[in-house]
Amino acid sequence: MTTTERFRWVRTKLRRLFRRGQQEAAMDAEMQFHFDQLVAEFRASGLSEAAAHRAALREFGTTDAYREEMRDTWRWPALADLWRDLRFAARSLLRTPGFALLAILTLGLGVGVNTAMFSVVNGVALKPLPYRDADQVDRIYRRTSAEPTGALSVPDYREFRAAASSIYSEIAGFSFGDVSLADEGQPAQFASGMRVSAEFFQLLGLPPVQGRAFQLDETQRGNDAVVILSNRLWQNNFGSRPDILGQQIRIDGRAHTVVGVMPATFNEWRHWGWVDLFRPLAFSTAAESAREQPTVGVIARRAPDIDAATANAFVSNFGERLARDYPELHAESAFYTRTLPDTVTGFDTKITLSMLLGLSGFVVLIACSNLANFLLARTMARSREHAVRAALGASRAQLLRPLLAESLLLALAGSALAVVCAIGASDWLRVRSTGDNGEQVIFALDWSVLGWALLCSLLTAIAFGLAPSLFTLRLDLNNALKSGGRGTTGSRRQNRLRHLLIVGQFALAMVLLTGSAVFVSALSDLNERREGWDSERLVTGTFLLPEARYDTPDAITAFQDRALERLRALPGVNQAAFSTHPPFFSWSETRRFIVDRQERPAPGREPAAVVNVTTPDYLATVQTPLLSGRDFALTDRADSTPVMLINADLAQVLFGNADPLGQRLAFVADGSPQWIEVVGVVGNVRNSEAEAASIPHQVYLPMAQRPAAYHEIAVRTASGNPDAMVPAIRSIFTELDPDLPIRDLKSADQRIARFNYQVGVLRDMLTAFATLGTALAAIGIFGVITRTMAQRRHEFGVRLALGAQVSDITRLVLGSGVRLALTGAIIGLVGGVGLSKLLAIGFPNMDLARPAVMAFTALGLIGIALLACYLPARRASRIDPVESLRAE
Amino acid sequence: MEKVRKELLQGTLDLLILKALSTGQLHGWDISKRIAVVSKDRLSLKQGSLYPALHRLEGRGWVEAEWGVSEAGRSAKFYRLTTAGRSQLEEEISHWESFAQAMTSVLNMEAAS
Repeated sequence: MTTTERFRWVRTKLRRLFRRGQQEAAMDAEMQFHFDQLVAEFRASGLSEAAAHRAALREFGTTDAYREEMRDTWRWPALADLWRDLRFAARSLLRTPGFALLAILTLGLGVGVNTAMFSVVNGVALKPLPYRDADQVDRIYRRTSAEPTGALSVPDYREFRAAASSIYSEIAGFSFGDVSLADEGQPAQFASGMRVSAEFFQLLGLPPVQGRAFQLDETQRGNDAVVILSNRLWQNNFGSRPDILGQQIRIDGRAHTVVGVMPATFNEWRHWGWVDLFRPLAFSTAAESAREQPTVGVIARRAPDIDAATANAFVSNFGERLARDYPELHAESAFYTRTLPDTVTGFDTKITLSMLLGLSGFVVLIACSNLANFLLARTMARSREHAVRAALGASRAQLLRPLLAESLLLALAGSALAVVCAIGASDWLRVRSTGDNGEQVIFALDWSVLGWALLCSLLTAIAFGLAPSLFTLRLDLNNALKSGGRGTTGSRRQNRLRHLLIVGQFALAMVLLTGSAVFVSALSDLNERREGWDSERLVTGTFLLPEARYDTPDAITAFQDRALERLRALPGVNQAAFSTHPPFFSWSETRRFIVDRQERPAPGREPAAVVNVTTPDYLATVQTPLLSGRDFALTDRADSTPVMLINADLAQVLFGNADPLGQRLAFVADGSPQWIEVVGVVGNVRNSEAEAASIPHQVYLPMAQRPAAYHEIAVRTASGNPDAMVPAIRSIFTELDPDLPIRDLKSADQRIARFNYQVGVLRDMLTAFATLGTALAAIGIFGVITRTMAQRRHEFGVRLALGAQVSDITRLVLGSGVRLALTGAIIGLVGGVGLSKLLAIGFPNMDLARPAVMAFTALGLIGIALLACYLPARRASRIDPVESLRAE
Repeated sequence: MEKVRKELLQGTLDLLILKALSTGQLHGWDISKRIAVVSKDRLSLKQGSLYPALHRLEGRGWVEAEWGVSEAGRSAKFYRLTTAGRSQLEEEISHWESFAQAMTSVLNMEAAS
């Protein structure tokens, strides 16, 4: 057949399948025509009308038989049989609704959850970045122990640009900064901003969808009042107005002209985070010469013939040159590159994702082995029926077809449930992982992933449905028939297979449960690890004083004083303060410094500390203990002696047992040192970084001596419910300045939870997997024990009739189940220990050796197994011997 | 007119239909007439059984059908061979010929040999 003919053939078949009525009518017309011709011929040969009719009937034959024959040719016999098989299967499944429900549930949950999981992994790690040849783009890092952000100073950036032109065809810089958006008649709003150099979008190969990228002359200070909007901001704030280009919007109190709108694909949390708007990277005169201030992130596109290793060697070389030229700054700097995709899915992400994938794989394995077990048990229960049918001459295909139909039916129902589960799970993940500003870590359910998952579930059901059947069909016909009506419990070999499946399930569930429990408990410890401050009854938030209106230090200080006064006067507020870095969250500003009257260390090897700038009363507000000396006072003003507080660790390192009070420190800078007097020592504060094992050296400076636009609010309330105070606090700021955007005003605990939402998602997913796996394993053992028990009903009846005690029967049933569960659990425990050892490699900062947690979960799982066996055991003990024997 | 009825050999009906159609498109009545005429009424088929066979052949893609108007002015379904049908016909003819030769050889064998 040619292709056209084959196509026509299929079309004919389909038409015959679906247009039966039309077909029949056409056939009748065709035969009627023939019949009429016959009658006419007989009439022509001289017969009467009636006689001709009779003769024609005789000649033509009975139409019914032909019609039936023709219908046969229309039908798709296999399809018709399949339909019959499916109906039969549905009826037979409905006779055992418990089994059907368990199997469908198992399949649906297993596949559904996995689909959601794969969607996440796909969205997070596997989906390529939306840039042109992202593999050719490097991120340039400069890191020191004191400076973890990897940014370059402006002079270093300039030097790099000049030096690297042979390696990199394009080089671009960027930096981040939050801004306030305030337009006439609109409430002021915080927005996350990014400054990018003119080459930035071009380098990534992702230009604005509307308008244009920045021009080189726009990266000059004073010429930089232009802005490119993210798609999200354009939609949310400007209702996707088509005439947005050329409009003015106010950023930090200054009018900016909109010159472009970015495509939605750019706003990828995976890479730059959620950026609302982009401005040109224009440097102040001060920044141009400040080699000690790393502010510029750098990306660069490698020339076509340069590979990643060559580029990395070049960059590292460049760093060594800088270290020779500026030893006081770069002696400890490490310069290196990472390809852009690598910066997104770092080692942490990869190991976390592969762990989640592995665990979800466990869930599927448990689900599949459950299904296999159910189907195996079912096939075995039917072995007698099969034997009889085989003896009566049924072919193997005929025996297998109804089984196949059942598997298919289960798979279809399971798939339907899986779709529901997958949608539900990804919705849950989405809600769970949506940040305050609407940013989402997890994207929508991936339908192509779902398609694959469904295909897999279908194959799983068919494979696991047929494999046990093929296996049992090999059983000895004679044996099955001989065992008579007593019902077979299956051969020893089949029982061994089923027991193996149960043991395997419990082993997997145990690994899943103990691994997750250990990880979750270590995670929450990491999360709870708070030292040197108290988050209870604390309300926090952030605001940014627009430069245009608060352009002098005095204006800033005046606003602070007014705001704090009003806040403290608020009923229900105990203390209030501002700082630049709230506790718990990472501190970003690290400075090196020297000590008065001490020998100066080699340049670049000075001690470093993170800097927090605070108002007086900050310590009392967040409850960081003051160990000696005094807190900042209102008298510490711009014109008074510069003062600072240092934390206990730093005091110990710098001064040992000597009294730190009255000592003077100065930050490393060009020119003569500006000495700052230590007036107090405070307790160590532990923050959220993964490296939180080491507490950084911390110094505090008074805000009045270093006024800046950025403020973190801290308000300690009197009542136990800090969230109730949020509206009152917000209204104070609104009254003071209606155009001031306040962000994240909420209780510290809520904010921390939000900050840790990725950790939270991870924890919830692990918990979900462990629960699901355990539940599936419990369902599995429950199903198998119940079925075994039903098959041994007769035997139990005999035992009871012969005088066995009810407790003997219970013990018999319970014993067999518990033995299996225990064997599995012990194997699983070994696996769980292995998993936690493996995780310890991936998460070196987490304390994953938790024998108590492990023992507890192991006991829990065994308890669940006991319960799952106990229910059928109790039913077994209620067997009425007389009735069960009579039932034969 | 007494007809000599002979049961058709199994499978020859398809061959007859295909052969009849090889001369051009025909409707069912024509096919049965054509076979009767050419075989000088020696091959006669139960006329009703023609239609299931036609549908079967159509299902296999050997013939295709189209409604048209007969010479008598009535609407009738016309059948014609497809390319696949033509090669099927050739195949069946060569089958038949080799079968007939074999039969002839057997029937012609000498008693003594």
